[in-house]
Amino acid sequence: MRRVSAHEATDGELILRTGDGDRGAFETLYKRYARPVFGLALRRLGDRGRAEDAVQETFASVWRGAGSYRPERGPGGPWIYAVARNAIVDRARARSEPAVEAPEQESHEAGPAERAEASWTSWRVHRALEELPDNERRVIELAYWSGLSQSEVAEYLGIPLGTVKTRTRAALARLADQLEEEFDGPGT
Amino acid sequence: MDRGPDFRELVGDDLTPGERARLERVHELLVAAGPPPELPPALAEPPDEPGASVTPLVLPRRRAGAMLTLAAAIALIAFVGGFVAGKNGVGQGGRNVLHSLNMHGTAAARNASAKIDVEAVDSSGNWPLRIVVHGLPQLSKGSYYEMFLSKHGKPIAACGIFTVAGSTSTVHLSMPPTITGYDGWIVTRESPGNNGHPVVLTT
Repeated sequence: MRRVSAHEATDGELILRTGDGDRGAFETLYKRYARPVFGLALRRLGDRGRAEDAVQETFASVWRGAGSYRPERGPGGPWIYAVARNAIVDRARARSEPAVEAPEQESHEAGPAERAEASWTSWRVHRALEELPDNERRVIELAYWSGLSQSEVAEYLGIPLGTVKTRTRAALARLADQLEEEFDGPGT
Repeated sequence: MDRGPDFRELVGDDLTPGERARLERVHELLVAAGPPPELPPALAEPPDEPGASVTPLVLPRRRAGAMLTLAAAIALIAFVGGFVAGKNGVGQGGRNVLHSLNMHGTAAARNASAKIDVEAVDSSGNWPLRIVVHGLPQLSKGSYYEMFLSKHGKPIAACGIFTVAGSTSTVHLSMPPTITGYDGWIVTRESPGNNGHPVVLTT
């Protein structure tokens, strides 16, 4: 059977290889998941220092626990999400001072279930973004989180407007594919 | 909630209804998710030695931007001055190493040694410690090594726990600048159900 490269392998395959001590597989997992884990930790802990610790602990746990991963029980992405969540919860429980500044006004924040759903959504989306080619991810980030119109993105990047539109549409389609596969299909 | 960019401007009008609905769902997810964070430099690369799994002890974090007090800095420098084993400066990977000091193995681990790099205070107000450990044996499941600040060879404050894999492992711990009264570091071996805490490394 052909052994696919780490970059082509599914998350589950990479976890299995990591369990066998494959450093390259571990590094690929790190590249795929470091930002989503950091984002999740920041959202939950509200402190960059603790979030950094949680990322370190998550990947230490991935390395330690990869041998316990069973692909028949589910894909790799949710498994890593669970590991990250546990590391973040441990970090939050152990904190010795409030992680987040108390809000100055009455909170209308979502309840635990809604927050969990929002965290899961962000996790999935941020994970999928990591799979985009750089030029596609750039146009998405500029359009969605820099407040630039398509014309302004074109001007900023110095490329034709049509190219921006093509890349944007391609990126959205690629993200749709990624998200529909629940990030454990081929190539993820 | 921010509604994000105009979806129609992004994709145009020439999509099939099915594809349009599919992309619009992604659009909504992107808006809901918000921007992914940029990774801080410390997380740019995976851990040096994943086999050296580190579970840093939780230390009191100071808020980002908190200033390191001059007195604390002087205290540390005065302390480590007696142990300095290397030159100050920027180390490999751009690390800002303030001081380095060596640890040696005790009778419980004669062939072990370690080098501690004390780095410049981080954004959380703690001193990062990078410890390269040689010759400590890999432990059975559930056992681990623990690093302490010590006084007269007795532990007074924990810095974190770690395990090792292979002959050389790199671990990253940290210490708050507020701890005083110590005169060295030790590493102990901890095993579940065992009341003994043998010291395996000491400065």
